[in-house]
Amino acid sequence: MSIKKSVNDFLTRLSSKLKGGGDKAIEKQKKKGKHTARERVENLLLDKDSFLETDLFVEHSMKDFGMDRKELAGDGVITGYGKVQNRPVAVFAQDFTVAGGSLGRAHAMKIVKVMDCAADAGIPLIGINDSGGARIQEGVESLCGYGELFYRNTRLSGDVPQISVILGPCAGGAVYSPALTDFVFVVDKISHMFITGPQVIKTVLGEEVTQEELGGAMTHASITGNAHFYANSEAEAFNSVKKLLSFLPANSKEIPPVRKPIPPDRPLGDDVIPDNRRQAYSVKEIIRGIVDASDFFEVHEHYARNIVVGFARLAGRPIGIIANQPRVLAGVLDVNASDKAARFIRFCDCFNIPLLTMVDTPGYLPGTDQEHAGVIRHGAKILFAYSEASVPKMTVIMRKAYGGAYIAMCSRHLGATFVASWPSGEIAVMGPEGAANIIFRREIAAADDPDAYRQEKVDEYEEKFANPYVAAKKGYIDTIIKSSETRDTLIKVLSMTKQFRTGRPHRNIPL
Amino acid sequence: MEKKLDKLTIDDTEYSTEIPEYSRKPYEGVPDPSEVRAFIPGTIVDVKVSEGDSVQPGDVLLLLDAMKMHNEICSTIQGRVKQLHVKMDDTVQKNQLMVSISSD
Repeated sequence: MSIKKSVNDFLTRLSSKLKGGGDKAIEKQKKKGKHTARERVENLLLDKDSFLETDLFVEHSMKDFGMDRKELAGDGVITGYGKVQNRPVAVFAQDFTVAGGSLGRAHAMKIVKVMDCAADAGIPLIGINDSGGARIQEGVESLCGYGELFYRNTRLSGDVPQISVILGPCAGGAVYSPALTDFVFVVDKISHMFITGPQVIKTVLGEEVTQEELGGAMTHASITGNAHFYANSEAEAFNSVKKLLSFLPANSKEIPPVRKPIPPDRPLGDDVIPDNRRQAYSVKEIIRGIVDASDFFEVHEHYARNIVVGFARLAGRPIGIIANQPRVLAGVLDVNASDKAARFIRFCDCFNIPLLTMVDTPGYLPGTDQEHAGVIRHGAKILFAYSEASVPKMTVIMRKAYGGAYIAMCSRHLGATFVASWPSGEIAVMGPEGAANIIFRREIAAADDPDAYRQEKVDEYEEKFANPYVAAKKGYIDTIIKSSETRDTLIKVLSMTKQFRTGRPHRNIPL
Repeated sequence: MEKKLDKLTIDDTEYSTEIPEYSRKPYEGVPDPSEVRAFIPGTIVDVKVSEGDSVQPGDVLLLLDAMKMHNEICSTIQGRVKQLHVKMDDTVQKNQLMVSISSD
C-alpha cells in the first residue's frame, strides 16, 4: 500500500471510530438532554485541544450471540489523558451511543489502562459514567471487567484523587466503581443510580417508585449521600469538577496548589453569632467571613445538613473545613453527620489538606432512631478520623462545645494542632439547664419555688462553667480570641506550626 | 426563602432550629414476635400448622414463595397458633399479618 493510500485508509477508519454509535444514536442521546461522551471530555471537561486519546481502535473479541458481526466504536468507552486548568488528568467516558455504553471486557481493560497510568503518573482520575450496565452477551467477562475496576479504584484510593461524574444510568454492580471513588457528581434528571431498578422492585416487592425517586440526582445528593455534588446541568457539573480539582494536589505526595491570598469580602466582626445560645444561625456565613474571597466550596451540601464540610483557601492555601451547623438540628452530631465528616476528614488527610474545625454543637442527637441506627458505631468514625489525621488540625470553638461532641470536634485531646475559642465559647460537659437539673435535682425538688431555684442554679452554672476559661486554665485550648481575629490567627497558625502531614499513608474507604 | 424553625430539646435546653424530614420519622417499635408478618411480598405455598397447634422456636409455620425461593417462615417463640390469617395460594403484601401466636 502506498503511504498516501495508507493515510487515507487510516483517516477513513478514524472518522468512523470518532462517530461513536452513529448519527441515530447520537440524536437519541441529544433528545435526552445529554452530551455525547466525546463532547463531555473534549469540550466540557478538558482544556481545549489537550485530549490525548488512547485505545480508540480497541475491539472486543466476542463471537457468541452474533457479536462477531458487531463493530463497537472504542468498545463503548473513550479513554485518555488531558489537562484541566493546565494540570494533567487521566479520564474515561462511557459512550452510551455505542451498545448503550455497556461494559464488556475490552471496554473495562481500556479503563484499567488509564487507571494504571494515573497511578504511575500520579495524576487524578476522572470517570464519566453513562452505561446500561454489564454487556450481557459477554457474560462472565463483563463481571471480570467490573471486578478489575473495583480493585483498582481501591488500590488508587488515597494515592490520587478519583472523581466520578454520573451522566446517565449507572445501575447494578456498576454503581460500586463510582462509590469507591472520592467524589461523585450527579446532574438533575440525567443521573440515575441504583442496584435494582424500579421494574425489578415492582415485580419483586410490588412497590411503585419512579426512577427519579429511587435513584435520581437529588435522592443521592440528599437522602443516600452517595453523591457529593449536585448540578442542574452537565456544564455546571464539569465546572464544579474543575473547581474541586483546583483545591487538590495531583497525588498524595504533593502539596495542594497555592494561590494568591485574597481577603474575604466581608470580614468577621466581633458580634457574629446570636446572643442567645438557643437561637439558630448559619455557620456558612461565618466561614465566608474567614476564608479567602469568602469562597467556600461546599461538599455534600444537601446531605446531613447539620454538619457542613467543604474546601476553601486561607492565605492562598487550600484547607478542608468541618463545621457544626446550628441552623439544622441545632448542629448536633448524628449518624449521617458522623459519616459525612469522617469521610471528608480522611480524604483531606490523604491529600495533605489542613483541617479547620468550627465548633458549635450541643451534643449527639437523642432518640431510639439514632441509637438503633448505630450512632455509637458511626459516631466512632469521627473520633477515628480526627485522631488518625496527621495534617495540621486547627479548631475554633464558637459557642457550645458540650460533652462527647466537644471531644469529637477535633479537640486538643484528639491531637489538634491548635485550638482557639471565642469569648462566647462554652466548653462544658453539657448545657447549663441539663447540668443544673442533674446536679441540683434533690435541692430543686425540695425547694419552695422549684422553678425559681432551678433558674438560680442554671444561672450559677452558666456563670461558672459556660465559658472558655475553665478549659483554658487546663491548657485544653491554646488561646482565646475575638471572632474578628479568627482569620489572622489561623493564618499565623498555618504558617508557623506544623505544615504537612506526618502520619502513615492510608486509603479513603467509603464510610 | 426562610423556613419556619422547629424546636429541638437536648439536655433540657430547647433550641430553635430546622428539623429535616428524615429526622421526623416516628419510632416504629421492636417487632412483636407473637405476630408473624411477611418480610417480603409473595405467595403462600404451604401451611404447616393448624390453629391450636403448639409451636417451639424454629418450627416452620408456612412456606412463602418470594424471589423464586420457598422461604420458611418460622416461629421465634414458644406458644400456640392462635389464628391463621392466610391460607394456601394467598398472596401477601409486605408486613401483612400471617399468623398470630399466643405465648403460653
